[in-house]
Amino acid sequence: MFPCTADATATLACTMKTFVRADGPDKVTGSGRYVADLTLTGMLHAKFLYAGVAHGQIDRLDVEAARAIPGVLAVMTTDDVPDHRYSPVIPDRTLFAKNIVRFEGEILAAVAATTPEIAAQALAAIDVAITELPVVNDIEAALADDAPLVHEDWESYDVTGDTIRDRNVATFSAIEKGDIDAALAGAAHVVTSRYVADASHATPIEPRGIVAQWEGDKVTIWTSTQVPYDARDGVCETLGLPANRVRIIVPHLGGGFGGKCGFHFEAHIAALARATKRPVKLVFSREEEFLAPDRRREGMIVDITTGLSADGDIVARKAWVGIDNGAYVADAAFFPQLAAMHVGGPYKIPAVKIDAQLIYTNRQPSGSVRAPTAPQACWAVETHTDELAAAAGLDPVEFRRRNLVRTGDEGIAGQIYDEIGLDQCLDLAVSAMGSPDLPSDEAIGVAIGWWPSFAGPAGAYAKMHGDGTVQVITGAQECGTGAVMTLRDIAADELGVGVEDVQLVYQDTGAAPVGPGATGSQTLLNHGRAVESATQQIAEQLRELAANELEAAASDIVLGDGVASVAGTPAVSVPIADLAATAAGGDLLLGSASAPMPEWPSVSARCVGDQEMASWLAPQFSCHVVRVQLDADTGVARVLDVQAAHDSGTILNPIGATGQIEGGVMMGIGQALSEITQYDEAGKQRNPGLLEYKLQTIADAPTISTQFVEIFTPNAGPRGSKGLAEAPNVATAAAISNALAKLTGGPIRQLPMTPERVWEHLDARRGSDATEVST
Amino acid sequence: MTLTIATSLDEVLSAMANGARPIAGGTDLVVGARQGKVTLPADLVAIDRVTELATVATNDGTIRIGAGVTHADLLTNDIVVRQLTSIADAAALVGSPATRNVGTIGGNVMNGSPAMDTGAPLMVLGANAALTTPSGTREVALADLWTGPGQTSANADELCTALVLPQPPQSSGSAYVRLEYRRAMEIAVVGAAAAVTLDGDSISSVKVALTAVAPTIIEVDGLNSLVGSPANDKAFEAIAEAARQQARPISDLRASERYRRHTIGVMARRAAHAASVRASGQTIEVPVNRAFGIGENPENIR
Repeated sequence: MFPCTADATATLACTMKTFVRADGPDKVTGSGRYVADLTLTGMLHAKFLYAGVAHGQIDRLDVEAARAIPGVLAVMTTDDVPDHRYSPVIPDRTLFAKNIVRFEGEILAAVAATTPEIAAQALAAIDVAITELPVVNDIEAALADDAPLVHEDWESYDVTGDTIRDRNVATFSAIEKGDIDAALAGAAHVVTSRYVADASHATPIEPRGIVAQWEGDKVTIWTSTQVPYDARDGVCETLGLPANRVRIIVPHLGGGFGGKCGFHFEAHIAALARATKRPVKLVFSREEEFLAPDRRREGMIVDITTGLSADGDIVARKAWVGIDNGAYVADAAFFPQLAAMHVGGPYKIPAVKIDAQLIYTNRQPSGSVRAPTAPQACWAVETHTDELAAAAGLDPVEFRRRNLVRTGDEGIAGQIYDEIGLDQCLDLAVSAMGSPDLPSDEAIGVAIGWWPSFAGPAGAYAKMHGDGTVQVITGAQECGTGAVMTLRDIAADELGVGVEDVQLVYQDTGAAPVGPGATGSQTLLNHGRAVESATQQIAEQLRELAANELEAAASDIVLGDGVASVAGTPAVSVPIADLAATAAGGDLLLGSASAPMPEWPSVSARCVGDQEMASWLAPQFSCHVVRVQLDADTGVARVLDVQAAHDSGTILNPIGATGQIEGGVMMGIGQALSEITQYDEAGKQRNPGLLEYKLQTIADAPTISTQFVEIFTPNAGPRGSKGLAEAPNVATAAAISNALAKLTGGPIRQLPMTPERVWEHLDARRGSDATEVST
Repeated sequence: MTLTIATSLDEVLSAMANGARPIAGGTDLVVGARQGKVTLPADLVAIDRVTELATVATNDGTIRIGAGVTHADLLTNDIVVRQLTSIADAAALVGSPATRNVGTIGGNVMNGSPAMDTGAPLMVLGANAALTTPSGTREVALADLWTGPGQTSANADELCTALVLPQPPQSSGSAYVRLEYRRAMEIAVVGAAAAVTLDGDSISSVKVALTAVAPTIIEVDGLNSLVGSPANDKAFEAIAEAARQQARPISDLRASERYRRHTIGVMARRAAHAASVRASGQTIEVPVNRAFGIGENPENIR
């Protein structure tokens, strides 16, 4: 099986034949327990009182009447928790609103009561008066000199890093390379476009839940988070607790898609539980899941100008990206630089100047939702790329072949790429779609995308029991991808035992060493390396034991199929379980390791406001080709067929990886066509529910075919792998856009490309022959 | 709160006479209560086990659809699919399999939503609602039943026991077409039903009703002038134009007034087209939305 070596001409021999999701039967049969299923003796029920207005001054917040209601055991406001601002990079957040509310979902008060009904009664009894302030509801208006400030005291925040801010601009980043003005002046064709993407939501099926219980001075918190250690650290920071007194346990997690990254609500519930000396439980309604978390996919405006040579080479790109941050930065400080990378795209461009701003508004905070900034920026850039191809008189695929980055090329930030497979992705997906004879209401669109791999600290423990079975204790968090389950295969392979002999302990910060959790496609990339290292330590011990037993050199011992044998002489062997039994009487078989940190590649471009997002470790590449049918009478589009080709390095788990591609494509179709968070004039969401927020359904799913370009990638994840989970979400909307542009005579410049927008676009074009591409 | 689980119509009617409100699938009432849109009545009588409400029967030129017939039953019932095809078209589009398995046609009608899917087909097929109390039953035309969004002219003690329709004449067909942004779990943005009877290639009768473009489902007036005309694109476009003229759509988060007014014309034209094809004896599988694909590609209609 392992280790894998990539062979360009054959399927990897190491790929797993079957993929057993140990959590699958629990989830499918309904026996699995989620946070909402937990009930502890004496447990109270929590509810939050939200601001309900997007921007306002709190004149009165009187909770005395609520506290007096029988069955109400605690009502908390900002006065009842430490006065502390938190969040990475820009600490602009507090647990409860303090004087000012900056978005409708800001928490004014938290209640714990014996029943949810009494908790609701208590909320109604809170006497609150808020004077509404002017709402910042538009990122361009937010930049005006006289725009109201979302954070009047922004200058007082204690920011870290190379963070450039100004009034409503929370962070600014730029990527600059070459002489942009000269390059544009010398270009044979110059194309300028604007694209506007609306906000959307991660929409995990499980609304979040939290249960907190104190025992003495220690608290255990069961929570539906993707990032248990961030949740722990957030509780410690905001409530002033040491790390060893807060234990986070995640039961089964009902999806995340980034929507359950970051920290926010665990501290409120822990504080309520401490105040009441009882376990306290919070379960969000669907509406709360839409309104309250510091997680929303950011709206974005992209103004982009690209210069081409007469032959169709991209010679210059100048762009501005405005990103709707919402009221608090959460984890979004890096968004401008990451968006700038995507607006540059995986192309060879000698002269680049891309400015990007993260802009405060009085809306729900934006935060990392699957491949943050990428689907919108890729949609803009790849739609623009088809416009460029038209200006150059080239076929869109040919234009991309001419300009995309290949092995050894320099990317837009000046990084020189090691072996990469973007050109192969393009060739594979395009040829898989072929050139079918299309009816007049169908078209094919092509887009390419990219995404970095994120390496971070992660540890693992491993132990082999006396009977030869194995326990791996990992900080990894399963959020539906199945990536955690692949850790078993890595351990089994290192130790020469069957996958079924390996069990995982995971999603418990009290047991496992630290890890990034299910964020940034990091599960296998980082935890995989840690598990690899930890189990290798036990493998070494087993080889030593076997070497003694078999009278051979330890370096000649091979572990596999449950036995340790001498290389080249398989008959000379000893069962691994026998070695484990021996060890159980003396030197125990234990491993513990921190994943070795890869080396980051260097970049040569000037990175203003650097948030460490220009140097891309083990970049992943993709090409999506879609066939779309359009009902021109109504603007309703339907995706019929998707060909996806991905370079995510070695694929360790083909079934899981293919599932990730299919899920990412479906999410991309939703972003392309139907998923939009609408706002009213007052900055409030109009559609915080599953009836009016249109996710795609299984009935809408097209045929999705996936191919992998497997390039063994050193200096990245285990066994030559890269990240995977976010990359499939990048290029789909862009490919759909390019298909629709063919059917409608030009690009739809708003995302999502809803039926009404498509029809309005068609209707406007019926009325004019204006060309949108200037050459 | 009390919940009476009734097994006979008499039990239902006597509970209602004492102030209870009926609940069948609960797909509107319970969901609305959970969302805080409506208050759950203090006393409920469950009517989903009353078998006499759950049948479809023909009798002397009329078809009687029991109020407790579920959407799942409607879309497989032979009488409905053959003779009242537009109702099956509509039932097939409602919600999800789970919704269709518990939601009933009586509940759909009495909920009085202008976006209800079965309403427009019932209207073009000339359905009356049978409203029953212990003292008897009266039949009310749907145009008189629906008085506003979520409002009906039924009295509190009246139970809708059935939808009563005339058996369509020979050479008739009907269809319901809906604008939908996705293929499941969807609610009508706009929709239209048409019932057409042909005399050879000519229209001998045509009725069209519109969904989600007015406070109630409305029937399009003035289509009698098409009687005697050939059932062709010109006639269908005249129907589309009448629909656009008579629609009174609003702008909301699902669509703008302008887009609704345009698409109601498209839906009316498609419904009339499909109904005419069915009237001519050709089959279009239920639901007609799928037969159209997403474009009005004539090759999709066989």
